[in-house]
Amino acid sequence: MNTVTQAKEKDIREDIAWAQINRDVLASLAQPRGTYWAIFAMAFGMFLVGVGCEAYQYEKGLGVSAMNNPDVWGLYIATFIFWIGMSHSGTLLSAILHIIHADWRKPIYRFAEAMTTFSLMTAGLFVAVHLGRVWQIYYALPYPNERWAWPNFQSPLLWDAMAIFTYLSSSILFLYVGAIPDFAICRDNATGWRKTFYEKLSLGWMGTDRQWRNFRVAYLVIACFLIPLAVSVHSIVASDFAMSQQPGWHITSFPPYFVAGALYSGCAAIITLFIMLRYTFRFEEYMTMPILDKTARLTFAIAMVWTYLNLIEYSSVWYGSDQVAKETLIQRATGPYAFYWWSMNFLGSVVPFTLIFKKLRANLTAMMIVSLLLNLGMWLERWMIVTPTFSHGYYPWTWDHTFFPSWVQWGIVFGSFGWFGMLFMLFCKLVPSVSMYEVKEMVFHRKLAKVHVREA
Amino acid sequence: MSLEQTINDWTKIRQRHPLPGSHPDLKWAMAIDLDACTGCNACVVACYAENNLPVVGKEKFAAGQAMHWIRIERYWNEGDEVTPHQGAQFLPMLCQQCEAAPCETVCPVGATNHTPDGLNSQVYNRCIGSRYCSANCPYKVRYFNWYSYPDQEKAWPEPLPMQLNPDLTVRTKGVMEKCTFCVQRLMDARNTARNEGRGVRDGEVLTACAQACPTSAITFGNLSDPHSMVAQKWRLQRVELDKDRQLKDIDGSHPGLRGYRIFEDLRPYPSIMYLERVRDNQA
Amino acid sequence: MTTKRLLGLFNDFDQASAALRELRDANLPYLDWNDVTIKSPIEHPDVEDVLGVRSIPIRNYTLVGALLGGSLGFLGLATSQGNFFSQLKGGKPIIPLPPDFVLTYEMLILGGVYITVLGFLICAGLPHRVKSDLYDVKVSEDQVGVMVKANAHCITEVRKIFESHKVLSIQEEVVR
Repeated sequence: MNTVTQAKEKDIREDIAWAQINRDVLASLAQPRGTYWAIFAMAFGMFLVGVGCEAYQYEKGLGVSAMNNPDVWGLYIATFIFWIGMSHSGTLLSAILHIIHADWRKPIYRFAEAMTTFSLMTAGLFVAVHLGRVWQIYYALPYPNERWAWPNFQSPLLWDAMAIFTYLSSSILFLYVGAIPDFAICRDNATGWRKTFYEKLSLGWMGTDRQWRNFRVAYLVIACFLIPLAVSVHSIVASDFAMSQQPGWHITSFPPYFVAGALYSGCAAIITLFIMLRYTFRFEEYMTMPILDKTARLTFAIAMVWTYLNLIEYSSVWYGSDQVAKETLIQRATGPYAFYWWSMNFLGSVVPFTLIFKKLRANLTAMMIVSLLLNLGMWLERWMIVTPTFSHGYYPWTWDHTFFPSWVQWGIVFGSFGWFGMLFMLFCKLVPSVSMYEVKEMVFHRKLAKVHVREA
Repeated sequence: MSLEQTINDWTKIRQRHPLPGSHPDLKWAMAIDLDACTGCNACVVACYAENNLPVVGKEKFAAGQAMHWIRIERYWNEGDEVTPHQGAQFLPMLCQQCEAAPCETVCPVGATNHTPDGLNSQVYNRCIGSRYCSANCPYKVRYFNWYSYPDQEKAWPEPLPMQLNPDLTVRTKGVMEKCTFCVQRLMDARNTARNEGRGVRDGEVLTACAQACPTSAITFGNLSDPHSMVAQKWRLQRVELDKDRQLKDIDGSHPGLRGYRIFEDLRPYPSIMYLERVRDNQA
Repeated sequence: MTTKRLLGLFNDFDQASAALRELRDANLPYLDWNDVTIKSPIEHPDVEDVLGVRSIPIRNYTLVGALLGGSLGFLGLATSQGNFFSQLKGGKPIIPLPPDFVLTYEMLILGGVYITVLGFLICAGLPHRVKSDLYDVKVSEDQVGVMVKANAHCITEVRKIFESHKVLSIQEEVVR
């Protein structure tokens, strides 16, 4: 007879009552207290700093950002790519892990998917901030006009526009459709304006078998579409660089490198938000330590993939005959950006090795710090792709210029984190951040599995 | 305007460029003799005057936000940097009007295109300022309006606006600009010639820089006209528009050739041929 | 003959599926098996098997949507490039295939996702007014409901079957 020993901690307790799941998650949607408003005010303050800097830049012109010829792209493009990258986490958890039936994703994918949507919205801000004439941004859309002028479909920036629009709208639809059963639960337990709100959102979901059948297929189909979409979106963003011929950019491995960096960045952000939500809403039953452990191990695996692609890029440049690319690489390592470049390599490749140690994975404070450092490394990576190529490109006349962003650029980057924070906090109080029906499914199936084990 | 038309034109729209015979009538090109160039900067001043370029001031120039469409670059041999006022080699660098320009493909709104007479056009009112064209330019000859020079920066205090060239716009902030081979002069010359029922004669129209150069280092004209000065210079140096490697560089069998194009191996097919400086010692 | 609807709430799927099996075997007249519905907090394909195979037309929507998106994408690009913005750019052909491929791919996914969501709403019958149907808030919490539409004669039979499987509560309403 097999007695199941209690050596390992479980991803979730099988005997949680479903009514309990409802209660715990709905408690997180209750009227917020003082701390919430204080943090929201902080995020709003950060956002206002960004708005102020952008207002100044809009008024005076982009010159205040200290960009110049040839350094025409600065932190705006770097942070844009950073936010798009962070958005891949949701797709990874929602779609990829769904298709391989990894059910430990069920308690955490909702907020990850929300993170995807809000990251994309934040990235969209940077497109506007970066343009010289924002008020004519609609020129990039294919709309009928009497000049017969359509956008230039050959431009990778335009592919970006189409891909990100597709990704953002698909993400919002995926998040919304996946949350319909949860909105039904909220509707059944709400009063006042919230009841009307959830009534509208849940579209009259009643959990009939016809609805569930179609829901299951729709969810799977959209997940199957979303995976190649996510890969293609970040590959297209990578094409902004790979399709040019500048040294340090014209590298074939950029699309998979960017996708790996995106998954990396997203996983680290999931860990950060996981720890914050678990603490704030007391989700210890659902966002359990074994799930954090699995997420940390996944992050480590992706970190190694990213490290490999990074090192491959350096080795192929070092080993090849492209003289200019080699000089650009040397300049990255020894020039004015050396400190940031080496930090990026350290934070991105060495720090993830802390995730090997089980004791560290179980320590929440350590994981919080590690995840923030990993994301800092990823942000530095984006910056180190954009700026050093300008400081040492093909043309000798452009060398010997050192370009560092002005306070305007830093202010806007700072403000974007405030914007993201605001959106996420609004989400936490309006949408259940743990997917109740999926957790019920997880508990149900694990209970069934346990029964079968006992019977065996 | 239909699918039918697309199918009929299929061969034409699937061709790459440049091919031999791409410009049968009119192709504007330049030849710059580096041996004749003294680095006097007359071309730069002429360009500022002709094209309404703003003088940005010392601070912005030091920050790298200058607007010189043509710039004189100075290069020294190793060891000569000690005496910077002697021995520099001068290179006037301007938009090379590449036949396969890397800037044209990447503009998201299509503000830069290739014209039938062989110029790389920049459409100011279409530009939304994404600056991808400048990022992709290997020569970095594209200049962005970082500030609004006419109104906010007061680049032309009274009575300087009287001196502005009325044939072209004064650009506002957020717009990319670059050398256009003085397209306003070219349009004027072509209109006059068409009204008189003839082609443009060689030497009839010159860019401001070619006109101002005291040593005639800059030759400008129609490359498709076999009798023009610029076509003769290109032919003499055995430089061809649609090749990516010229006779001078293929082997050492023609040591007398001086003509080359910059960054030819990146294959943008530039329209400016530079004539190498004759060195006073064996190279 | 009055048609009535009955909603019985069960504690878990086992009891609900046992009740359904008995109902199916009882083969009551004036009871259309297609009118039997389950309302549950989570999906359970096994219980749905008891109900029999029911179609999932949503996949057709996906196919149509993807093809529509892809063809609109390519035709929109190729014709526009060939007809009204046909200026040379960067030495490339006027209708270059790699960018057209990338955008066709994105539009294919866009079309597929949008039409799938539309198809989901249509096939699942959403939006639906909850008040016009029997429903209990316990369904969204932890109880499984079985809803049957039959005429007044059969309803007592159905009630008996439900009660023999430990039904927690029964709601009844008259249709029409």
